[in-house]
Amino acid sequence: MKKEIIAMLLAGGVGSRLGILAKKRAKPAIPFGGIYRIIDFTMSNIANSDIDVVGVLTQYKPLSLMEHIDNGRPWDLFGRTRLVEILPPKTGEEISDWYKGTSDAVYQNLGFIEDFSPELVLIVSGDHIYYMNYKELIFYHKNKNADATICLIKVPFEQAGNFGIACVNQDDKIIDWEEKPKMPRSNLASMGIYLFNKEVLKEMLIDSAKRGGVDFARDIIPLMLGKKRVFGYEFSGYWRDVGTIDAYWSANMDLLNPESGLNIEKWGIKTNLSVKGEIGDWPPIYIGRNAEVKNSLISQGCEIEGTVVNSVLSPGVKVEKRALVRDSVIFHGTIIRRDSVIERAIIDKDVEIGEKVLIRKQKTGADLTTGITVIGKGTKIPSQAVANKSLNKNLFIL
Amino acid sequence: MTDVLGMILAGGRVDELLTLTEKRPKAAVPIFGIYRFIDFVLTNMMISEIDNVGVLSQYRPYSLMRHIGTGEHWDFIGRKRGVRILPPYKGIKESDWYKGTADAVYQNISYIEEFNPKYVLVAAADHIYQMDYRLLYRYHIEKDADVTVCFTMVREKTPWFGYGIIDKEGHLLGYQEKPKEPPSNWVSMTVYLFKSDLLKEILKENAGQDSHEFGRDVIPGLIGKTRIYGYKFKDLWAYARTIEMYYTTNMEYLKKRGILRRWILRTNLVEGCENQDRIPTRVLGDVSNSVIGNGCVIYGTVRNSILSPGVFVEKNAIVENSIIFHNTIIQRNAHLESVICDKNVNVGESCSIGTFGAEVPSREFSELLKSGITVLGKGVEVPEGTKIGANTVVYSTAKIIDKEIPPGSTLR
Repeated sequence: MKKEIIAMLLAGGVGSRLGILAKKRAKPAIPFGGIYRIIDFTMSNIANSDIDVVGVLTQYKPLSLMEHIDNGRPWDLFGRTRLVEILPPKTGEEISDWYKGTSDAVYQNLGFIEDFSPELVLIVSGDHIYYMNYKELIFYHKNKNADATICLIKVPFEQAGNFGIACVNQDDKIIDWEEKPKMPRSNLASMGIYLFNKEVLKEMLIDSAKRGGVDFARDIIPLMLGKKRVFGYEFSGYWRDVGTIDAYWSANMDLLNPESGLNIEKWGIKTNLSVKGEIGDWPPIYIGRNAEVKNSLISQGCEIEGTVVNSVLSPGVKVEKRALVRDSVIFHGTIIRRDSVIERAIIDKDVEIGEKVLIRKQKTGADLTTGITVIGKGTKIPSQAVANKSLNKNLFIL
Repeated sequence: MTDVLGMILAGGRVDELLTLTEKRPKAAVPIFGIYRFIDFVLTNMMISEIDNVGVLSQYRPYSLMRHIGTGEHWDFIGRKRGVRILPPYKGIKESDWYKGTADAVYQNISYIEEFNPKYVLVAAADHIYQMDYRLLYRYHIEKDADVTVCFTMVREKTPWFGYGIIDKEGHLLGYQEKPKEPPSNWVSMTVYLFKSDLLKEILKENAGQDSHEFGRDVIPGLIGKTRIYGYKFKDLWAYARTIEMYYTTNMEYLKKRGILRRWILRTNLVEGCENQDRIPTRVLGDVSNSVIGNGCVIYGTVRNSILSPGVFVEKNAIVENSIIFHNTIIQRNAHLESVICDKNVNVGESCSIGTFGAEVPSREFSELLKSGITVLGKGVEVPEGTKIGANTVVYSTAKIIDKEIPPGSTLR
């Protein structure tokens, strides 16, 4: 089957900085915005850009991700010539190993790419919150007659050290590249989105593999500079790497702020609502007689008798009488019993918070944490527990 | 229950639901926000582990077909499991619209024979209850019955139903369809379990007659001639024959939510994929004692109401004691009181609907519409500032021109 372009979606990330949220699932599979998962943004961008073949490279705890992607139907990536294929590590005659890095994962699946003889290959990662029409990127790439185009976004200089940083000339050609530099010379950060001419990609992957290269940012890009036409495509919309608890929490809060630029509806983000019958099995939302709900996103199956302010609730969350939930993100099936107060918390699935529990805003410390409490999947917090000590770090309750 | 085939009667139009059944059969009418009537019987068949189900549908079956889809939402998908819509068809000999419930099953005898089940469970699609039919099945076998009819007890003997007289052993001694003076408090739930061979026989016999309804013709004719039993169902059951009953049944949901939340109830929420595009519900206004579907955006006030997915309530709009179907928009400063609003209705700014004249019954439907409910049909546009009195029906075809519609009106 011949395709002009296919996408390879890197979804293997461990997401270690997300702590217990990523303990039982890959980072792209972490719930976001009530009913979504982080990977939905990239999947929807791909589908909305009319790219209809996607290989999803998984490695770390792929089960929830595989269930979520299923046959690709939610994103309309299902049909005779449209497909999503999960590509886990495999053993073959020659190559057999875990994926050692981003480029190694693609290298090990060159066979999948060749099946479609595409001219272009889009490499994207599944752990960013953004909206992009890749058609514009493709147009730019062709216009520049590029071998590879890397999407860049301006970040504050003090954060630049966390990213791959590009230096571009007047023609937007990338002339220098530094991976997580201590003294960044530019603030154009890589978004982890690369568009390659397939032949060039293949050549580079094989070449790099010979030298032991396994990572796009560390090995492939530097190898290309000077040899190939590599361009930077500057993106200026909403884009967040939700790799930390603070960033993850803030992006969820952005959903509640119309000025933030994060607009799921306008972006046409789709998700799989039928995992294990999840959505269809919940009853509709019920908001009780004395309940108060302010500026919040509420999903199906939620039952609210208490107060919910500035929060994002996944399906099936129960907030009992006189309980207060503020500035929080609560995952599926969690119960908050009466008279409890939950502020600035991220609470994973199926947690039970007893009566009169206090989880208050942590005092902000010097290390820039925002004082968020994170409670792991299935935790039971006994009645009258208190978590409001002045901690300098985000509090994790496992 | 691999030896039971399910047949769902879903063809009926039911005039008493006015504009709600203008464009869909009753089985496809939305209820409790996210469900449709047929979900109850489909879920019951699922939990009873019936593997194959035929849905007899005749009146505008499109929305029903879309809703049932592949049947996967009720787990009716697999090599040996399935749900099929059975519309009327043209054959060499038999070719006609369904002339009644019994005729609908009769015309699909070949479907029954395909599965060759020992028993056939015939059930209507418009009753609200949760029942494990396996209990009925066990009762049926225990009694060595030819036919078992399910009954539920009503307090008020209204003439809508079929009434049965059941003796201590469970024999069905008498059955009257819509009697003026009901002989008991036990009304038929239109759930019948038949021995398959007997069903075929009696349907063939019925086909030669002029009237073809299970309740009116078939069941009474079996009494005294076959081993016919009554099964008493004692859990929560509700029915919505008329528009006012429909309204009350929905409002009861707000009270009996506890019971209903314990029910297993499945529906198809991804119909036409439209739900995949819905965001979670966004609440910015004031909501109390209400059931809300996903994808709603609420800036205004919603009290004691049931909202289906995708309803938009703008700033300073007030929705009270109302039932609003999918994707309806209530614009700024509009006020709705006791309104049933079908899908895709657009209520303009500062409209006032159902807020006056509750004491004036509908002129055209004086028996059906007198308790102060206002009904807006699918896709109705209500221009800015319009005032509509209570007990009014606006059909989907109507164009609203007047600034004030008196109570009790009918617009077509």
